[in-house]
Amino acid sequence: MAEPQPAEMKIEGPKRSFWRNLSLAWLVPIGALAVTMGVAWQSYAERGTVIEIRFENAAGVVPEETTIHYRDVTVGLVEKVEFTPDLSSVVVTATVDDVVASGLTSDAQFWVVRPEVSASGISGLSTVLSGVYIEAGFDPKAEGDSDAVRTTSFEGLDSAPLVKPGMRGTRIVLRAKSGSQLSAGAPIFHQGIEVGRIEEPRLIDSGNGVIADAFIDSPYDKRLTTATRFWDTSGFNFSLGAGGFNFSVESLASLIRGGVSFGTVFSGGSPVPSRYVFDLFDDEQSAQDSVYSDLTDNAVTLSAAFDQSVSGLSVGSPVTYSGLRVGQVQALGAFIDDSSGEQEVKLRASISIDPRAFGLESDTPQEDTLDFLGNEIADGLRARLASEGLFSTGLMIELITVPNAEAPFAFDAADPQIPSVESNIADLTTTAQGVFSRIDNLPIEEMIDQITATLGSIERLVGNEDLQKVPGSVNGLLADARGVIGSEGIQTLPDELSATVSELRGIAEELRTADLVGTLTRALDSAANAADTVNAMAGDLEGATSEIPTLVAEARALVQKANTLPLDSFVAQATELLDSADALIDSDDTRALPGALARALDEAQGALAELRQGGVVENTNATLASARDAAAAIEEAAGTLPALSQRIGTLVAQAETTLGGYEANSDFNRETVNALREVRQAAEALTRLSRQIERNPNSLLFGR
Amino acid sequence: MENAGHAPQILTAKAAGLVGCVQCGRVHRPGVMVCDRCGAAIASRDTTSVQRVWAWLFAGLVVYVPANIYPMLRTTVLGKTSESTIFGGVVDLMHHGSYGIAAIVFFASIIIPCSKFAAIAFLALSVQRKVRMSAGARHKLYEVVEFVGRWSMIDVFVVAILASLVQLDFAASINPGIAAVSFAVSVAFTMISAESFDSRLIWDADEDEHHG
Repeated sequence: MAEPQPAEMKIEGPKRSFWRNLSLAWLVPIGALAVTMGVAWQSYAERGTVIEIRFENAAGVVPEETTIHYRDVTVGLVEKVEFTPDLSSVVVTATVDDVVASGLTSDAQFWVVRPEVSASGISGLSTVLSGVYIEAGFDPKAEGDSDAVRTTSFEGLDSAPLVKPGMRGTRIVLRAKSGSQLSAGAPIFHQGIEVGRIEEPRLIDSGNGVIADAFIDSPYDKRLTTATRFWDTSGFNFSLGAGGFNFSVESLASLIRGGVSFGTVFSGGSPVPSRYVFDLFDDEQSAQDSVYSDLTDNAVTLSAAFDQSVSGLSVGSPVTYSGLRVGQVQALGAFIDDSSGEQEVKLRASISIDPRAFGLESDTPQEDTLDFLGNEIADGLRARLASEGLFSTGLMIELITVPNAEAPFAFDAADPQIPSVESNIADLTTTAQGVFSRIDNLPIEEMIDQITATLGSIERLVGNEDLQKVPGSVNGLLADARGVIGSEGIQTLPDELSATVSELRGIAEELRTADLVGTLTRALDSAANAADTVNAMAGDLEGATSEIPTLVAEARALVQKANTLPLDSFVAQATELLDSADALIDSDDTRALPGALARALDEAQGALAELRQGGVVENTNATLASARDAAAAIEEAAGTLPALSQRIGTLVAQAETTLGGYEANSDFNRETVNALREVRQAAEALTRLSRQIERNPNSLLFGR
Repeated sequence: MENAGHAPQILTAKAAGLVGCVQCGRVHRPGVMVCDRCGAAIASRDTTSVQRVWAWLFAGLVVYVPANIYPMLRTTVLGKTSESTIFGGVVDLMHHGSYGIAAIVFFASIIIPCSKFAAIAFLALSVQRKVRMSAGARHKLYEVVEFVGRWSMIDVFVVAILASLVQLDFAASINPGIAAVSFAVSVAFTMISAESFDSRLIWDADEDEHHG
């Protein structure tokens, strides 16, 4: 095997420099590095700011899962959840977007949003599936504020704040006696509109009350002034008083959670600063009444002395002027008055009066107010006790202006007193009683009697005998009328009309001037005459009417006579007789003499029998019988009336049908019809009269 | 071949004054720049080989870092999104008791890439400095590295399949993270790195050692 020959060596030039020798492949790691660094930088830039939030507990918060929201936009993620070194609370470490983190100040609030069901609704429902999240709240305006302290460590809230930072409105403090009316989240109403919420109430440090922060949303917070009063509207409210039964419920939510309302109770309040403390009143009435009970800083105090009992008056009782509340009773006491020479205990009430009630400025100096009141008193301003209400036993002091009041004692500004006048408390009952007794005294029965009597006399007038003469005359009148209607001219008229109906229309003018019309006119005249006769007769009737009372008077006298017959004396005698008989029986002699007694009794009986058999009763009966006969006669006469009126009716109907053939609008026709109608009315009146008499013939006699 | 560890008994093309084609194995006279059989560029030794190996290796290493730091999978179930890195996924699998799968993922995504980096670096160093390992063993190591390279893509395949299959809108959806891309690129870079290595350099180093 031949030794291999070394190949010719390829001679290369000098080694190329390090840079010339460098492979292009190095660009790859450089590019990879650049890309990786780019990604890393991007990640770092997006990483955000790390913040720490301390929570009491972190229920539902999961590292790497739970997000942080601001205005419902995800702005961060919880990195880890751990304890503070002393295990007292949980520290949630989270990264937040730089944009948001730059706005976070120490005022920022964080709370965990969980599903929640409450009286006011359901919230956080979305967290049922996605898990809880942490909501951040802060006031973005604070960003440019140099005072705002940037921080990355926060205290978390246990529950969502009722008022989120950044909401516009006014925060106030409500002070109440007990927290039963206040519950967190309870609504605040103003004129029925929900304008705010109450936060968690807490005890005042001193322990005798409860305060709660509340928030009134903008723009309603403008309504808040120092004149604003808050009152409780939770649950329902009912009252029973002179105004009736009153039941009110503000809203269902307030029924469950409670709620308060506010209103402005007087004008001229000044705007309130934030965290102004308002008192919470039990109801609207006490809120309004409070105006004078707690704003009497500048009130003046007067004293008024009363002679009568002040039972029912108490400290706090209102002082009114013309129905307006102007102050209240401050103190009650008694003092001994010896001005009149002898010692006398009087009751004195101190009353404080608010100057504003009289239209004075609230900062009026007390001296000026007293001057004003002094002038008023000089003009007759007086105090008196008055009942608080119709059904109230409470008293109040009423300031009244008594015209022509007697001059008061000198008004002393150092010891201001207001003179009192007699109260009118007792008047009420007396007045009511007076009204009732006056109603009681009204002569109602007399009035009824009077009316009955009047009606009776009217009845008697109608039932007068002379009226029966009317039918005869009317009959005559009707006979006349029938004569007219039955005249040949009228009878033949319809035939002529039917025969020459077209001719008649053509000569309508002629017809009016014809003899026929003249005849008709004459008939009309005679009808008018007949009417006159009727009128004249009616005049006669009036004359006859005057005879009626005498007739009645006679009948009554007759009855009177029957009444005045000496029945009474007979009875009296009989009684006396019986009495003497009794006396006789009582005497011992009588007992000893039964026989005599029996005789005496027989005598008495006999006397009574005689009395009974006497003509007195017969006389009366006869009188009544004759009266009855008279009534029967009247009834008989009345019996003819219906037939008469019927006849009149048929006659009138006949006349009407006859006349109906004429031109409907002619004056003659109309007047004739009217005349006939009057006749018919007279007939109907006759019918009514006869019915009345039939029904009660005695009415003619007895006027009833 | 009983003396496989001793190269001096084998005559290399370089020692014989010839140049061998890496693609088809034909030897040429020196000075020929292109293989006249297969047309591949030929050189006695690729002088820039080690440089390229290092370059690709560095590139692979660089992108391997985000592949491990960033999430491989972004899983959204009912609105809750969870992201998992490669190692985090392994830990999760272990927690769930899937030790076998955890081992496979751990092996394919962490052990293999890491040992590849180490092996390639070692081989590149071995041609520049003296190492104790014999040339034969190093050849075997090189072959293993070349072979195993494509299998480390297993993680990327899993992500690709899951991301395309699980797209159920709100109920559940899986999306690949940055790490999936990084990892695939890293594997590709290391494969190129291994490919760039001229294994003939191992012989030269061995010869230098023996010839003193």
